[in-house]
Amino acid sequence: MGFSKLTETKVLLKQYFKDIISIEEGGEQRLIIDLQSKDITSMINHLKDFMDFKHLSMISCVDWPEENKFEIVYILTSYSKNIVLMLKTKIDRKNPKLQSIMSLWPQAVTYEIELNEMFGVFFEGNDRMGEEFILEDWDDIPPMRRDFDSLEYANKNFKFRDERKDKKIIREFISEHYDEWRKK
Amino acid sequence: MKTTKLYLGPQHPGITGNMMIELDVEGNKILKSKTHVGYLHRGFEKLMERRTYIQSFPIVCRICVPEPDVNENNYARAVEKLSGLEVPERAKWIRTMVLEMARLQSYLLWMGGQSGSMGLYTMPQWTIGDRDYLLDRFEELTGGRVYHLYVWPGGVRKDLPIGFKTRMLDLMDYLESRMKDYTKLMFENAIFKKRAIGTGVIPKDKALEWGVVGPVLRGTGIKHDVRIDEPYEIYDKLEFEVPTYEGGDIYSRALVRKFEFMQSISIIRQIMDKIPEGPIYNRIPNPFKWKIPKGYTYVKLESSRGEFGYFMASDGSEKLRRVNVRGPAYVHGISLLEKILPGSRLGDVSTILNSLGVCPPEMER
Repeated sequence: MGFSKLTETKVLLKQYFKDIISIEEGGEQRLIIDLQSKDITSMINHLKDFMDFKHLSMISCVDWPEENKFEIVYILTSYSKNIVLMLKTKIDRKNPKLQSIMSLWPQAVTYEIELNEMFGVFFEGNDRMGEEFILEDWDDIPPMRRDFDSLEYANKNFKFRDERKDKKIIREFISEHYDEWRKK
Repeated sequence: MKTTKLYLGPQHPGITGNMMIELDVEGNKILKSKTHVGYLHRGFEKLMERRTYIQSFPIVCRICVPEPDVNENNYARAVEKLSGLEVPERAKWIRTMVLEMARLQSYLLWMGGQSGSMGLYTMPQWTIGDRDYLLDRFEELTGGRVYHLYVWPGGVRKDLPIGFKTRMLDLMDYLESRMKDYTKLMFENAIFKKRAIGTGVIPKDKALEWGVVGPVLRGTGIKHDVRIDEPYEIYDKLEFEVPTYEGGDIYSRALVRKFEFMQSISIIRQIMDKIPEGPIYNRIPNPFKWKIPKGYTYVKLESSRGEFGYFMASDGSEKLRRVNVRGPAYVHGISLLEKILPGSRLGDVSTILNSLGVCPPEMER
């Protein structure tokens, strides 16, 4: 039942959108779709209005500094088809810009504000862009980027207590001996 | 009349955690509301990127204080999905039981909060007391009362203790008998009805578009439940009903939760009756060298407040590339609240907050 609807949706999407980079099944009731960033708004619009993907589960972002890209992931759910779609698109890391989808779902505003704050992705058309959401008076690079080192930041800004004299690096110690302990 | 700006929170007995609501009020009437969060941001998602898969495990349960098991289960299932790790049958049954216990204790907490926000202070005394009996069972099973660290990728940590089944069934009988008192004191209370009916209404035609989930959605008459839509663990082997009530106000949400409370008791009884014997976990590889194949996954489950999802991306190394938590409060506490608060009275703010199940720690992580 779920399988046939999944295949059906896959075929329909392939027919409708010729520009899809790739579309694959990611486990039961999951479709992972790669798109170009210019198609994302029209795709989501079509999915919401004509294919019954009425529920926006989340908007997320994955940082790939080695490719110099941000990957924005939209997770949409269709209650009638029981399918969860993951729409992914890669955008340039230097100038991260995307069209906002706040006109489709009011809660998208919150997600977009958060991504703007945490990754520095700019959503065009969102009038509340740049608002402070979680962080206050932040002047460093956006903190969820991979090149923001939270340890270094903590070392620079916070003072640590003095260490114990008999300390050893527990993590390496356990890692070396783990297999031999497990045999016992 | 003059418009006044009122900052409710971050420390306020009526707010369900540390968050602030900026209100424009005219007398007693709310004109505009805006939620400010940021008081509980601990950067969990960032912290988890620095740690191996198992090292991240003690962090996830701290994401939502009243519902740690939901997070543990989601995290474990996401790791299992990405790595292809199998879970033994008995572990799945125990996990489902833990989830339902979590639902019961969360509803007891909610009953206390909801009636406490209306000035019925006997209810919190009762329900927090009864919740402690459930926490006793959690302590017996997992070693911890609030944070359990029990559901582990590959299974659960320990088997059921000897005699646990009898004590659990006794507790279920006790909770069922207590429901009569709760009904008299809360659900049929004239004050509760008067304040709950017609307050905080979410229109049925807007509910799906506004991203409403869980008991709040079922309170508007739309029947969606992740346990039925996309059965995880062993929910497809259990018999239970999912209630819906028309109205979309606080009272219909309360009735949904009351019904589900009884359903949870029945689910735990079924589990205790049918639970199979067998191993409880599959060994994972050396956690310090455990590389998980590249991939993306989104897992979700039905928590006591609605769809709780984890998005996880792995890049083929020992550490997570990205994890993102979608709690129901992220939508309920921010954009939905900004939609339904205007027009209601100032005294109803905490009542509405409680009925939506707003939990600030999971908005900020």
